[in-house]
Amino acid sequence: MKLFRTIALAAVTALGLAAGPPVQAQDTQQALAADSVIETIKQRGMLRVGLSTFVPWAMRDKNGDLIGFEVDVAKKLAEDMGVEIEFVPTAWDGIIPALLAGNFDVIIGGMSITPQRNLTVNFTMPYAHSSVGVMAHIASTKGLKWPDDYNSPDITFTCRRGATPCDYIKANFPKATLRVFDDQNQTVQEVLNGNAQVMMSSQPLPAFTIYDNPEIVFAPNEEPINPGSEAFVLRKGDPDALNFFSNWIMLHTVDGWLEERHSYWFGGRPWADQVAE
Amino acid sequence: MYPDPDRKPRFTRLDLVIIGLVVAFAAFISYRVSDVLIYKWNWSFLPRAFFRPDPETGGWEPNLLLEGLFTTIRLSIWAMIIASVLGLVLGILGSRMRLLPRLLSGAYVGLIRNIPPLVFLFVFYFFVSSQIVPALGISRWVRDLGPTATWLIDFAAGEPRLLENFIAGVISLAMFEAAYIAVIVRAGIDSVPESQIEAGKSLGLGPLHLFRLVVMPQAFRAISPPLANQFIMLVKDSSIVSLISVQELTFVGTELAISSQRRFEVYIVVAVLYFVLCFFLSRLFARIERRHRLRYGGH
Repeated sequence: MKLFRTIALAAVTALGLAAGPPVQAQDTQQALAADSVIETIKQRGMLRVGLSTFVPWAMRDKNGDLIGFEVDVAKKLAEDMGVEIEFVPTAWDGIIPALLAGNFDVIIGGMSITPQRNLTVNFTMPYAHSSVGVMAHIASTKGLKWPDDYNSPDITFTCRRGATPCDYIKANFPKATLRVFDDQNQTVQEVLNGNAQVMMSSQPLPAFTIYDNPEIVFAPNEEPINPGSEAFVLRKGDPDALNFFSNWIMLHTVDGWLEERHSYWFGGRPWADQVAE
Repeated sequence: MYPDPDRKPRFTRLDLVIIGLVVAFAAFISYRVSDVLIYKWNWSFLPRAFFRPDPETGGWEPNLLLEGLFTTIRLSIWAMIIASVLGLVLGILGSRMRLLPRLLSGAYVGLIRNIPPLVFLFVFYFFVSSQIVPALGISRWVRDLGPTATWLIDFAAGEPRLLENFIAGVISLAMFEAAYIAVIVRAGIDSVPESQIEAGKSLGLGPLHLFRLVVMPQAFRAISPPLANQFIMLVKDSSIVSLISVQELTFVGTELAISSQRRFEVYIVVAVLYFVLCFFLSRLFARIERRHRLRYGGH
């Protein structure tokens, strides 16, 4: 009897060992798929997107509704998923903790990929590329070639104190004069007045100024300077969602939709009359 | 503090000096703003930030700024109610002779009062309330409600889909203010002379009656001015919950300032709105206090 019991126990243990791991693996897979935020969105019938106000990524129009590049992207994403969209406007400082706390499914908020951020959250592939833009006074820079001819004592650059373009100008145009202002409007005004020749700041400010004053200023440079890559932001440990969102971005990069929307919002200000000003 | 309603207004030389200083300072600021700070003032966006046309009825409905103001009012009222109840209980516990209630109240007050409001808000919101509130399933519950219930929630707490965040904001604000109210209530109760309690006992009043008929009316007179002050503080403190994205006045003000690029104008308007709200409250409390004093006799 004792022998029989020992054999039975051994048999059960062996069976358990043999059957165990595959069952566990399958469970993990199922659990991962079921826990994915994609499943939550489908069940809820609603995509919740966290974003923060930043012109022209996301901003309020005259009626208090959200408009902007990001808003278009999120709406299209929800449309393609066949679900409703809900925006959760969030203070920028707390947007990653709010994502981790589960206040929304994904951040579509013009967030640039950085290694530091990537240690706490996952990024999809980029859906937009930001860069530093250049704007030059037409009359006083005639015939000059970017960038070499601008590195001369006759040229005055403007930038806003503490912004990254200031360092870029110091490093790349050491012979030129640099004037630093605390107020961004002044950096623009000095170039429009012709007191300075070149202004550098992150886009889309130079592009907008050129769009509004095409006979006074132009863009001497088309190459991206200090490019950044903006991506959707997700909680860690969700491969299904990462795959879905990245592929969605890839598809709309290929078909040109993202590019078209980006140039609508960043290329100029055809939307200016929608915003309170 | 709000002005003493019974004091006669007098105009003295000191007033003249102060008015002169204020005018000089205002003139200096306006000179700096207009001359040194190159800024084009533009207030034309303002009316539309308060009201927007309603496409269905053709009339006007509240836009961002008014909605934010309403949210601030709702937030403050709920937080006041909860903070008063919690603060009252903690204050009473703190005035007991027994050790345990006193320790309980003391620990709560000591913990919260010694943390900066902003840090408390972040800790509470991200570690505590964001774990508990979603687990209650409020957002799903709200989605399945009928139109009447939805309207009720909209009236009491603002947009139903933002209810979860609103609740988190109310609770953190209430928990924070309750600590201060507890101290005020305890001090008020302690200020009632021992002889009054002994007199009440000698009349044969039980502990409940003693508290309700003897201690509380006298304590209320002592606590109502600092309590009113605390409520006004609460309205102003409510602006910090903008950082956890409750869509109240400061939050929509920030959004509007960024969207419209008219930062100075927007923040000035927001400041005026807070001022109007708090000033109205201070007048209201002064009135209540005066009536209370007329009824029970003043000192």
